[in-house]
Amino acid sequence: MSEIPDLADATGDPAAAEPGAHGGPVLTAHRAGLIGCRSCGRVWPPETRECARCGEGLVPPDRRGLQAVWAWLFAGMIFYIPANVMPMMNTSSLGGLGGGGDSTIIGGILQLVHHGEIFIPLVIFVASVMVPIGKFIAIIWLALVAGKPATHEEAHSRLKIYEVVEFIGRWSMIDVFVVAILSALVQLGFLVSIKPGPAAASFALSVAFTMLAAQSFDPRLIWRGLPLRRRKDVNE
Amino acid sequence: MSETSPLRPGSPSRNTVARAAQAGFSLVWLVPILALVVTLGLAWNAFSGRGELITVEFSDATGITPGVTALRFREVTVGKVEGVAFTEDLRNVLVSIRVQPDVAPYIDDKAEFWIVRPVVSAQGISRLDTVLSGVFIEGFWDATTEQKQTHFVGQDQPTLARMAGEGTWFVLSSPGAKGLAEGAPITFRGLEVGRMQNLRLSESDETVLADVFIEAPHDQRLTSATVFWDTSGFSVSLGAQGLSLNVASLSQLVQGGVAFSTMAAGGAPVESGHLFRLQPDEETARASLFGSAEDDIRLSILVDNDLSGLTTDSDVVYEGLTVGRVTDLGVDIDESRPDGEEVRQRITFVIAPSRLGLEPGATQDEALSFLQDRVAKGLRARVSSSGFLGISKVVALVEQPLAPPDRIDTDTKPYPTIPSIPPEVSDLSASAEGLFTRLGSLNLEGLLQSATNMMDAVTQVAASPDTQAIPSSLRATLDETQAAVADLKAMTQELRDANAAANLARALDEAAQAAEAVRLAAADVPEMVVQMDEAAQAIEEFGFAEISAEAEGILSDLRAMLGSKDAEELPRNLSDTLQAASGLLNDLRDGNAAGSLNQTLDSTRVAADEIAKAAESLPELAERFQRLATRAEVVIAAYGGDGAFNQQARSMMNELSRAASAFGSLARTIERNPRAFILGR
Ligand SMILES: [Zn+2]
Repeated sequence: MSEIPDLADATGDPAAAEPGAHGGPVLTAHRAGLIGCRSCGRVWPPETRECARCGEGLVPPDRRGLQAVWAWLFAGMIFYIPANVMPMMNTSSLGGLGGGGDSTIIGGILQLVHHGEIFIPLVIFVASVMVPIGKFIAIIWLALVAGKPATHEEAHSRLKIYEVVEFIGRWSMIDVFVVAILSALVQLGFLVSIKPGPAAASFALSVAFTMLAAQSFDPRLIWRGLPLRRRKDVNE
Repeated sequence: MSETSPLRPGSPSRNTVARAAQAGFSLVWLVPILALVVTLGLAWNAFSGRGELITVEFSDATGITPGVTALRFREVTVGKVEGVAFTEDLRNVLVSIRVQPDVAPYIDDKAEFWIVRPVVSAQGISRLDTVLSGVFIEGFWDATTEQKQTHFVGQDQPTLARMAGEGTWFVLSSPGAKGLAEGAPITFRGLEVGRMQNLRLSESDETVLADVFIEAPHDQRLTSATVFWDTSGFSVSLGAQGLSLNVASLSQLVQGGVAFSTMAAGGAPVESGHLFRLQPDEETARASLFGSAEDDIRLSILVDNDLSGLTTDSDVVYEGLTVGRVTDLGVDIDESRPDGEEVRQRITFVIAPSRLGLEPGATQDEALSFLQDRVAKGLRARVSSSGFLGISKVVALVEQPLAPPDRIDTDTKPYPTIPSIPPEVSDLSASAEGLFTRLGSLNLEGLLQSATNMMDAVTQVAASPDTQAIPSSLRATLDETQAAVADLKAMTQELRDANAAANLARALDEAAQAAEAVRLAAADVPEMVVQMDEAAQAIEEFGFAEISAEAEGILSDLRAMLGSKDAEELPRNLSDTLQAASGLLNDLRDGNAAGSLNQTLDSTRVAADEIAKAAESLPELAERFQRLATRAEVVIAAYGGDGAFNQQARSMMNELSRAASAFGSLARTIERNPRAFILGR
């Protein structure tokens, strides 16, 4: 108890949890009978309710905490549907006389492809379609497998995926940014104007909820499924 | 193992976590539930607001772009074209339109659709905005929801009038398409109140039909007494009021146009779809009204004079007011009539009782009894001239208080016959007879005969041996006689050269001219006719009778003189005188007095011959006079209180009395100096 255990599982630092670095089984705070702070990584005795260092509330890792992940994820997924079905932005030129109209994400991509563009639609496709869907899949998978038995390698790959999802989250708003910037810039009144469509809000919500889902995922759960006993048995 | 076991979390800690997790569970799940609700709400909103899909068939889809082209109702977008396809036979294009759900229920079987494109036409340039925005489909439907329908056949052109809003549709029928044009304006007192469209050939008769849309509230102005006429182009007409040029607005000049007016009160209200006939011009339109109302009465008259100038649609006038129109002209043969009158012309005309001053809504019987009453008081029908040149004719209802009593013959078929009187014809040949009669009674021939007789008597006196044996003692007398003869010669000369006949003829010509002038300015006022009759009467009574009497008096005096004792003694006196003058005569003979006397006597004879010749030509003159008088009568008949005519008539009478006084002075000269008549100088 006097020894402060490694805090790898609390911060989710893969380097710290790298089994090779210790050469022994990974020791998590939970297994050490402690509770780690998800914010700063400090571990505390299990009865501690609040991290004295950063003020974050201390919650022990529990699969039931995944409920929040699922909830946010579903919310994000639900909003992802209108984000794709409804128009992303509404352009009008010459006060509506010159045409224009609504365009959805996919519709816009297809239109650009029709016009011979490759790069921009590719970027939009990646940012607005592939990434969000990939995030959904990743989070679903993480939430499913969290706390389930896994090898060290599996745990590390899960952690990497988690890291990627977290990192990408803030960049998923490219479409929303584009629409927001265009709406702000292209307000030439009668000549041309661009307005965000309902899909923009939906998309933003979807991304936000997905980010919340990723954030509410407790990476400490990744390490809970490690085959400690088996390894120990093997070691023994 | 031993290292790790003490590190396991204790159960109190787990319980806390479980509680915390439980607490977090219910709260965080609200988010996706809320998201679901919101999304489903949005989805439902989108789905329910998606509207209904209708298809409209067009012959072509120029400018229609799926997803872009809008369906508009009163310029508000209420739908969008979703797709364009072909009909099975590839003849038409099916345009699928997604209509907003709030208007979809109103799109029933009466809905109409057309494509709005920029149009450049005589009515101007319209829908130029569609050049930029692209075409759109315009729809029109009413506010009622009736028979549901999702498939429609689009129209080729916009229903212009439909867009105007409330109003009523009528049908206009015309023998030709003149004045009719798609979208041509309908004007009421020059104000555009509607438009026409859908020109088509009638299937039932040989007319062109057009749908006419009159905007509310102007559609209330249309009744069964409404007439439409063509205002397109321009027209020049020469009528009773002179020359008139009618030009409507430029647009109507170019594309046609129709005007309407409700000329008479009391028309029955008309329903939508009522058929109106297009009249060629306003005048005809006004005339066409007579006979249209149910209570109009039809009458006919029988005449046997020339009807040229009278046509169907000629006016029927009463006290200068047009009260009806002639509807039919025909020949009526009745063997029961006396010889020469079997064939007569039947003029049928229609009269609007309201124009006669009867209450609106008076029945035909009431109107007929009214007329019967008027006829009993002297109302008669006749054909009379009208118009500036007197060429056209009208049927005039005139009051003739002195006419023998008569009544409307209600037994004749097909219409009652109103008694007619002969026309006061402005035609010279026809009116001549009356004046002939009047002039014939002037005893001019008697006067002339008297003059001839007088001449004969004079010649006899001159030719008698007693006279030829005139003694030279009568020289003084002869001198007087010569002077008288000179007078006579001069007068004869005057008669011949300055010629009274010509004067008379000129006077008559003047009268004729006056008559002509009067006839040109013709207007028929009975009072003037009476005046002129009086004038003619005065001519008859005053001038010629007096002259005649005077001439006869002269002649009787002459005869008395010739037959008197003095006259019987004349040869003896003459013999005395002649004996006394024989020496003188011898002197005279030497001085070629006898030759001179013979010459004088020859001259006298010549003069007498001239007078006789003139007398011979007088009947011819009288004939001309009569002809002229005929004209004068026409003038009198056709003429009202015009001062010019009176002057002309007066000058004519002056000429006549001058001619008469020429006769008179001749007679007086003869009376004063009968001997001068016999002996030349
Ligand atoms: Zn902390």
